[in-house]
Amino acid sequence: MSQRNAAPDGTARTRRTGGLWRVVFLLLAVGIVVPLLVGLYDSVDPRLFGFPFYYWFQFALIPVVSLLTWIAFRLSLRATDQDRPSYGLPTEPGSRSTGHEGGERR
Amino acid sequence: MNTVELVIFLFFFLLVTVIGFLAARWRRADAMDSLDEWGLGGRGFGTFISWFLIGGDIYTAYTFIAVPATLYAGSVVGFFAVPYTIVLYPLIFIFVPRFWSVSHRHGYVTPADFVRGRFDSKPLALAVALTGLLATMPYIALQLVGIQVVLEIMGIGGGENASFLEKDLPLFIAFAVLAAYTYASGLRAPALIAFVKDTLIYIVILVAVFYLPTQLGGWGHIFDVASQSFDKFNSDNAGAIASGKAAGKGIMPPAAAHWAYASLALGSALALFMYPHSLTGVLASKNRTVIRRNAALLPAYSFLLGLLALLGFAAIAAGVTVTNPQQSVPALFDKMFPGWFAGVAFAAIAIGALVPAAIMSIAAANLWTRNIYKAFINPDATPKQEATQSKLVSLVVKFGALAFVLGLGTQDAINFQLLGGVWILQTMPALVFSLYTRWFHRWALLAGWAVGMVYGTLTAYNVPVPGKAGSHFGGPLAIVPFTDTTKGYIALTAFVINVLVAVVLTFAFRALKVDNGRDETSPADYHADAGDPGVEEVLEGEPGTAPTAR
Repeated sequence: MSQRNAAPDGTARTRRTGGLWRVVFLLLAVGIVVPLLVGLYDSVDPRLFGFPFYYWFQFALIPVVSLLTWIAFRLSLRATDQDRPSYGLPTEPGSRSTGHEGGERR
Repeated sequence: MNTVELVIFLFFFLLVTVIGFLAARWRRADAMDSLDEWGLGGRGFGTFISWFLIGGDIYTAYTFIAVPATLYAGSVVGFFAVPYTIVLYPLIFIFVPRFWSVSHRHGYVTPADFVRGRFDSKPLALAVALTGLLATMPYIALQLVGIQVVLEIMGIGGGENASFLEKDLPLFIAFAVLAAYTYASGLRAPALIAFVKDTLIYIVILVAVFYLPTQLGGWGHIFDVASQSFDKFNSDNAGAIASGKAAGKGIMPPAAAHWAYASLALGSALALFMYPHSLTGVLASKNRTVIRRNAALLPAYSFLLGLLALLGFAAIAAGVTVTNPQQSVPALFDKMFPGWFAGVAFAAIAIGALVPAAIMSIAAANLWTRNIYKAFINPDATPKQEATQSKLVSLVVKFGALAFVLGLGTQDAINFQLLGGVWILQTMPALVFSLYTRWFHRWALLAGWAVGMVYGTLTAYNVPVPGKAGSHFGGPLAIVPFTDTTKGYIALTAFVINVLVAVVLTFAFRALKVDNGRDETSPADYHADAGDPGVEEVLEGEPGTAPTAR
């Protein structure tokens, strides 16, 4: 998706971080697609703590998707930093640095 | 009428009213008559306050009243709110950081601002702005219904035989109070009240979802009782269900309703962050990283939302019988808790409806002022004129919401939110697709939007309330075109048609070499973060808004 966006130097990005972004989008895709496949989980049994499977499976999806999104978040931090130069941005945004780049912050 | 309940409720209601008016003095600026001050709280909100504000988008009357009501009523697709809130966050992760970046580089405050900048098209921006205004109204209406049912359960304003004035007067009063302090204090009012609201709501939620099952024989028993009651309904009404006069009930969707369930979840998730109030909240985030981190952390809320939804079944197990399913959760609290705690719970629900109603009306009003008033009516408006416009329109939007409450049946209040989704989702191609590509032609996007709006509105209009032939706006589901029996969320069907029209016409307009306007954004704009050149500058004094008072 976004790694194919028309960047000034898009090819550099695809080579260096394309794989990383693919993992990120794969992790996110699980969270988007699995909850929509109702046929996977529309049964009463097995029950857990009295909850029919249909209900506890969806509850269980919440922390799982949350975890996947967290991993995606950590990976995206790295990929984003590596991508920045190819979009003509400074290596570090001013706010995350120690403040030396005050000149850029205006 | 329970006196203790009422006294506690009125105490909290008066408390937030006072806070609402005093909020005008909180973190006070020199004057309230600029849009930045009134509509954006002076833009001084940090992460902590923003978190409370965004929380207001999640715990609304939707969560407390409408979703449990659909389960209480035995809707087989009622639990869709849980997959909806699961799917939501990965979607936010993907597209919202880009929106944050481009908005901060160019000073966009509303979705319509971005569309105007990206496509150099006032008509397309107008379409997006009008859709935002329209779609916000039923969402606010849902909040008003939440307040109404609480008042009814407390025995004020309710009653089958009450006259129109008696029935709706308390709602009008609550509504007038909300309108008055929003008018006076702007975004500061809901931001400050949100502290009271969230504290009350967390107490009530935790007590309700952990205490109630112990009193009702555990979750297993609750599910069994609900399931048996639905089976009994189905066998008692087998004839009516077969002839389509009544809908079958159940605790999970049969195979025929799978797409309905999935499309409601996906459609709602895609729609949520098109709403002006959601995007305003997101833009208040400090940087891109905050958005992605929150996307991983916010699903914790979904868990409580799911447990709250199940209170609809708990109400059945507790033997609550109400004709209007919206009353099931308040009636459950009334029945199972001592008066003082029920009073706290009712206050939490009512305040939990007031806060988002205020935020939504302010966001819609900003949309009006920036993208309609300034763009078309008075381009040279002074900051004071802008603020006056927004204040007045925040009232107009609330009256629009009231019209929805009084005009449409409140039996299935969730339909309000779902109807808003039908409309707002039609802005997605212009808003989200264009974050990634400028392939689409601006006139094709406008045409797609128009077709989607007309199809969605007509289809929703033609859905009768079950058992009432000839009635309208009775539900969010309709037969998907080119299928015989598969029902799906109208919003998503209309969206697909919208995209098809946009794609076909884009080819046509491109072949005819129709001018596609000048794009004022550049690829790097979609990746810039806080601290990058051009980003902070934009926050301080944006083109198109009043200079800040700071």
